[in-house]
Amino acid sequence: MLIEDEESLQMYVEESLDHMANIENNLLAIEREGGNADPETVNEVFRAAHSIKGGAGLMGLNNIKELSHRVESVLGMIREKKITPDASIISIVLSAFDKLYEMVTHIRESETIDISEEVVSLTGLTTASLPAARKPDVAKMINILPPDGGSPLFRISRLDLDKARKGGRDLYLIEWDLIQDIHEQERSLMEIMKSVSMSGDVLDITMKIEAVGTLEEGIPSRIPILMLYSSRIGEDILPSLFNVERHQVHRVTKTMMVPAEADKPAPARPGAVAPETAQPFATETAFSPEVTMPDVADEDRPAALGTEDPVITEENSGLIIDSLKAPHVKAALSQTSLRVDVKLLDNLMTLAGEMVLSRNQLIQSLTAQNAKTIASAAQRINMVTSELQDVIMRTRMQSIGTIFNKFPRLVRDMSQTLGKKVELTIEGTDVELDKTIIEAISEPLVHLVRNSVDHGIEPPGKRTQLGKSPIGRIHLAALHEAGQVSIEITDDGKGIDDQLIVATALRKGLISERRVADMSRKEKMELILLPGFSTSDKVTDVSGRGVGMDVVKTNLEKLSGTMDIDSVPGKYTTISIKLPLTLAIIPSQIISVSTEKYAIPQVNLDELLRIPADQVKNRIEKVGDAPVVRLRGRLLPLVNLADVLGIEKTYIHPENGLEYSERRQNVADRRSRQHLAETETEDAAPAPAKETRSQSGERIPASRRKAEDRRFHATSAVNIAVVFQGNTRYGLIVDRLLDSEEIVVKPLGRHFKQCREYSGATIMGDGRVSLILDVAGIAQSARLKPLELSEKAQQRAAEEKAAATASDQAKASLLMFANGPDEQFAVSLSLVERIENINLSAIEHVGGKRIIQYRGGALPLFSLSEVADVSPLPESGEIAVIVFSLDGKEIGLMAAPPVDAIEVPITIDSKALKQPGIMGSAIINNHTTLLVDVFEAVKTVYPDWIAGGKAPGHAMAVENKATLLFAEDSDFFRKQVKGFLEEDGYTVLEAANGQEAWELLDTTDQTVDLVITDIEMPVMDGFDLTQKIRNDSRFRHLSVLALTSLAGEEDIVRGKQIGITDYHIKMDREKLLDTVKRQLAADAG
Amino acid sequence: MRKGLKRKDRAELITFYIGNTLCGIDITDIQEINKQTANLTWVPRAPEYVVGVLNLRGMIVTVVDIGKKLGLNPLEAGKHSRNVIVHYNDELVGILVDQVSEVISSDADDIEPAPANLGGVQGEYFSGVLKTDRKLIGILDVHRALSDD
Repeated sequence: MLIEDEESLQMYVEESLDHMANIENNLLAIEREGGNADPETVNEVFRAAHSIKGGAGLMGLNNIKELSHRVESVLGMIREKKITPDASIISIVLSAFDKLYEMVTHIRESETIDISEEVVSLTGLTTASLPAARKPDVAKMINILPPDGGSPLFRISRLDLDKARKGGRDLYLIEWDLIQDIHEQERSLMEIMKSVSMSGDVLDITMKIEAVGTLEEGIPSRIPILMLYSSRIGEDILPSLFNVERHQVHRVTKTMMVPAEADKPAPARPGAVAPETAQPFATETAFSPEVTMPDVADEDRPAALGTEDPVITEENSGLIIDSLKAPHVKAALSQTSLRVDVKLLDNLMTLAGEMVLSRNQLIQSLTAQNAKTIASAAQRINMVTSELQDVIMRTRMQSIGTIFNKFPRLVRDMSQTLGKKVELTIEGTDVELDKTIIEAISEPLVHLVRNSVDHGIEPPGKRTQLGKSPIGRIHLAALHEAGQVSIEITDDGKGIDDQLIVATALRKGLISERRVADMSRKEKMELILLPGFSTSDKVTDVSGRGVGMDVVKTNLEKLSGTMDIDSVPGKYTTISIKLPLTLAIIPSQIISVSTEKYAIPQVNLDELLRIPADQVKNRIEKVGDAPVVRLRGRLLPLVNLADVLGIEKTYIHPENGLEYSERRQNVADRRSRQHLAETETEDAAPAPAKETRSQSGERIPASRRKAEDRRFHATSAVNIAVVFQGNTRYGLIVDRLLDSEEIVVKPLGRHFKQCREYSGATIMGDGRVSLILDVAGIAQSARLKPLELSEKAQQRAAEEKAAATASDQAKASLLMFANGPDEQFAVSLSLVERIENINLSAIEHVGGKRIIQYRGGALPLFSLSEVADVSPLPESGEIAVIVFSLDGKEIGLMAAPPVDAIEVPITIDSKALKQPGIMGSAIINNHTTLLVDVFEAVKTVYPDWIAGGKAPGHAMAVENKATLLFAEDSDFFRKQVKGFLEEDGYTVLEAANGQEAWELLDTTDQTVDLVITDIEMPVMDGFDLTQKIRNDSRFRHLSVLALTSLAGEEDIVRGKQIGITDYHIKMDREKLLDTVKRQLAADAG
Repeated sequence: MRKGLKRKDRAELITFYIGNTLCGIDITDIQEINKQTANLTWVPRAPEYVVGVLNLRGMIVTVVDIGKKLGLNPLEAGKHSRNVIVHYNDELVGILVDQVSEVISSDADDIEPAPANLGGVQGEYFSGVLKTDRKLIGILDVHRALSDD
């Protein structure tokens, strides 16, 4: 059947969806304004319902026609101000439009969708406002017969009929021939519907099926469509207006109107039957009661001219329904086509023309071998291609308004359910995004807006209490920003309480306490993005249905988007989303393993890491079975791409050009001499990559290493791409890190559906295909645990991390300098005030001491050779003066430049090279380095400075002979602190970690008077030690001083809660001594 | 009536050998035949019968060793090797063959159901067998032969 063709149906669906696009917002506007609603807005909604009805009649979609008719009636009443649109009325209309939307999007199942509930509510609205006398008219049905008699064509309620004929209008039957009047004139049904609707109302449409004939007769020559039409235009003008023959238009005379028996099945199509018999017909309510009704069929009832059996139309609709129920295609209809601005298409045509011209130019130039014109043709093609790409991209763009427009309704419905008052403002609806992104972003956005209404905005009562406006505000904005689209959702609700989040995350075991300590506020808020997190105390119906923010985040990441949270508790929450304009082209990092190149999407990439050969041993090691790398004090799991992909290590023989498999199992293994020679030859060959072949040949087959061998022994650098997806973050070991490129994403065939390692493929500049790596898929294949490592590994990792932190502290505080040419010294950087470069000639000798004029005063100087047995300083030229501050006085240590601050973990040998002013030695950068004890050195040179000046305190301490327990994992610090504590007269028991300290405390027969502990320590940290002390009645009374370099606010709060008496920053010697003294005194008193 | 039916069922087949079996593919299933049989991009972790992927004017084509796929010996690349690019569902798949033979016009009358086994290849991969004067040609059912299940 012609009108049932896919094209018309799809066109109808698209048009109807267009009509409905803005309906919700219009209805909400009407609801807000109530009786004063803008007539134009009401009209717009009315027209939408009307057009949907008209098309549905044409298509034989009775359910849709029925429902839209009833909606139209109610809207008509609103238009005529017969009823005032309040929330309850608008709710009914909204739900009716929802049902219409559902039916239109599932157009093939529309006839089977139950609309009775909506019909009842709508009918209730229309009949409620009618005067009692007119109510029966709603139920009174009139049949319209063909002019020459026969079975009824239409059935219409008396009320509708009256309305259609009032105001000087006449009722017409217009006959169209689908073939001659529409198809052959190249018009579409929708066009005709539109033009007809401009000069009157289409009440109903049906098809005259008997005229079509049977299949045996061949292709029908005509397919008549009948339209029941009401218009003021006269019978004589209509034919020319509609471009039909005179005989195709009939005025409906009284003889053609016959009352139908209400209980009899109507000649309408089956979809409409059930509601009709179940309850009275709703009506067009433009009818005004005071107008005298023209007499209708009642009086002039002619003898029935034909039977009322609904044979014909029933059959007809049966056919339609069958075709509608075709099993395939559901909502897909609306997505398979896209509206494109004609201007864009014209533009594309022009560009295609340009392309052809350029091609011709190129071919000609090639034939002529004219390098100059070839170059110009290439340039032209280049330009046309970029423009073509740009325009084609634009055809895929849709405005974000299509999603944003859903939200007013969503917010309204939610706030009603939750009893909240919310005002939604929207900005930037015309911002355009790629179609695929628009489709995919919808759900995450809905989730976020829901969260704002449900969790963000407080109930009106509470808001008033807080001094806020009872109406909460949500602002939704989209804008273009540096080639990206940024979407912001802001609410002025209760905000996100980071403390609460941390507490929840800890309670749910999502993070470790250790990690919380060094998290920023922002990082803490981002904990809500972890899987299994939900802050709402109760799970409401509205949001928090088990899908959390983590899903939103993951979905966004799939779209190469990022999410950012900003909030001030009690004030606001802003969630910003950044999305690329399109997914088709993405920036990526190109890497290679063996001979193949792979692309890693830039959105998954954190950083690139190259570990030099000499650091591989220190920085890459194994935790359990898993290789890890130390990265800024944290352990990052490593995945070797070659292992995950099962790439056999090969090298190309330089002479015969064949590939051989790599025989080494471990990086540590040397290649055989022969192999080595081969690689060296390879080095000489010009390689296109940035690095030499030998480096690409060296690999770290982490998983094959023996378990007991915990260190890597690589002879070359290791290249690592640090990647992440969701909460998984790891380092991907690759052979080479190449360029960053914009790549065009192409799908892989279905034979690769099992390969989760790839997200697609792309074509590189040389025409070869390269695979795009799926960071999450690789993590799965490598069996990387999503969040952290296994429990045991985690524990170990924690220890390692603590150790790393401890060594970080040691690193941070070393200042390297020289004295004589071959001697290297180091001093704790934290003691150094600053470094000055001076000329030796500026030194003055005063009173047997050396000083320099410095900042308006005299700075006393000393050199190490005065204290210890070390080689003397050079005698002329520039020297460096390292300025220390001791007891509030400054003193300068002369050193030979250059001085250098370094970061290395050190192990102190306090015996071999110990001498006055030197606490011991350590191997740093392969040099034996003497560690300077500044206090001792200064004391030696200026004995009265430290010992003398501090005499009273010192004496008291000696007198007290208090015993201190000191736990500290860094050798360096333990020695220094212990040194000056002992010097002050205390007995110091030392321990390298909390566990050792506890055991010492537990077993020693000495009475410990005070505990001093570091916080970050392996095995047992300072917090746990304190807790143990507080939980033991023997030691509960002890004061615990924390000595740490990490005195974050969180640490202090937590420490105080646990029972730490006081905090001290490491190496603040005077202060510490002072506190120890005062604390002991206080404890004694 | 009979005439019409015959006309409809006539097909042109491109023939080639898989191992020792002469096979044919309906010409309408074929996009093109080219010499891109080497320098493909290898896809680690892909099914064994997948040789790799290649770029065919901007489309990613999966290339399959049909011998391996159908349980025969893998193909040995030679100078007559060809890549027969066929339509498979909505994508393009390249079938590597030793050598492309002639184009044969087939008639419905000459097509018989495939035997259970044709030169070591299971009959289910064929939609029928074409008997000519000299030889038997197995008409490959591309969809079944390339099935990715």
